[in-house]
Amino acid sequence: MTQRLNLFTAAPKAVEPLVALGPILDASTLEHSLMELVKIRASQINGCANCLHMHTADARKAGEREERIYLLDAWRESSMYTPRERAALAWTEALTKVAETHAPDEDFEALKAVFDEAEIGHLTILVGAINLWNRIAIGIRAEHPNDVKLKAAA
Amino acid sequence: MTARLNPLAVSQKALAPMLAMENYLKNCGLEHSLMSLVKIRVSQINGCAYCLHMHTSEARAEGETEARIYLLDAWRESELYTPRERAALNWAETLTKISETHAPDADYAAATAQFSAQEMIDLSLAITNINAWNRLSIGFRAEHPHDHVKKAAA
Repeated sequence: MTQRLNLFTAAPKAVEPLVALGPILDASTLEHSLMELVKIRASQINGCANCLHMHTADARKAGEREERIYLLDAWRESSMYTPRERAALAWTEALTKVAETHAPDEDFEALKAVFDEAEIGHLTILVGAINLWNRIAIGIRAEHPNDVKLKAAA
Repeated sequence: MTARLNPLAVSQKALAPMLAMENYLKNCGLEHSLMSLVKIRVSQINGCAYCLHMHTSEARAEGETEARIYLLDAWRESELYTPRERAALNWAETLTKISETHAPDADYAAATAQFSAQEMIDLSLAITNINAWNRLSIGFRAEHPHDHVKKAAA
């Protein structure tokens, strides 16, 4: 696999606001651990190795446990995730697969039980942002650091 | 989530052939690391927390790296996996989503380029058996053990 394009040199001005969004979302009252689970789950669905590498590493550094990442594909079948996390993960799936789900009322109602309006707003933008990054990273075949290391060793 | 039924407690007789098959597969000669990746990938697709817990724990105990498990949803986009593993994962996805894929010739050819006829049978049985375990575990809402984390506060 060879990277197709470097966005930071190809479209630096357009990338800038995308990067700037990160700290704004981080400043919300959403738990960091919850935000990482959301980013990892969307990246699992979209199959983005680059984003999985980045966010599983970030999550682990921030103290996330291995099993909560390993079982994330099957979070519905596990009791390791909090009610806030479950509502956020359901919303993540609804929006990531929006062409199939059309973001149903039940998923939005479930959010209101555990998040305030500002949190729902930030969470929704977060899901949109990670989906955007997934699409960009897969589209340009972004290489994650492990692949770069492997190539260097070859 | 509450377990609905414990199939092993209800009917050991019915499960014995499935367990015997697992025992056969363990000693069939296919690499354990490859078999674990296949079982984890199938369990990701089916969303089986119980099987993910079991097979990620086993894989880690046998020396698998965290990164190769975290990136498995996106193996196509990563070079962390060998050509043999890639062929096995592709065949695993094809058979797991068979109602969509219908096991196309291209996938079969990619698999037979890496595996002998005997290995194709063993690999395919491993894939169908983990799909069976996933369906039993999800259908009966099997609860996975909680090694480190207590159930998330309800």
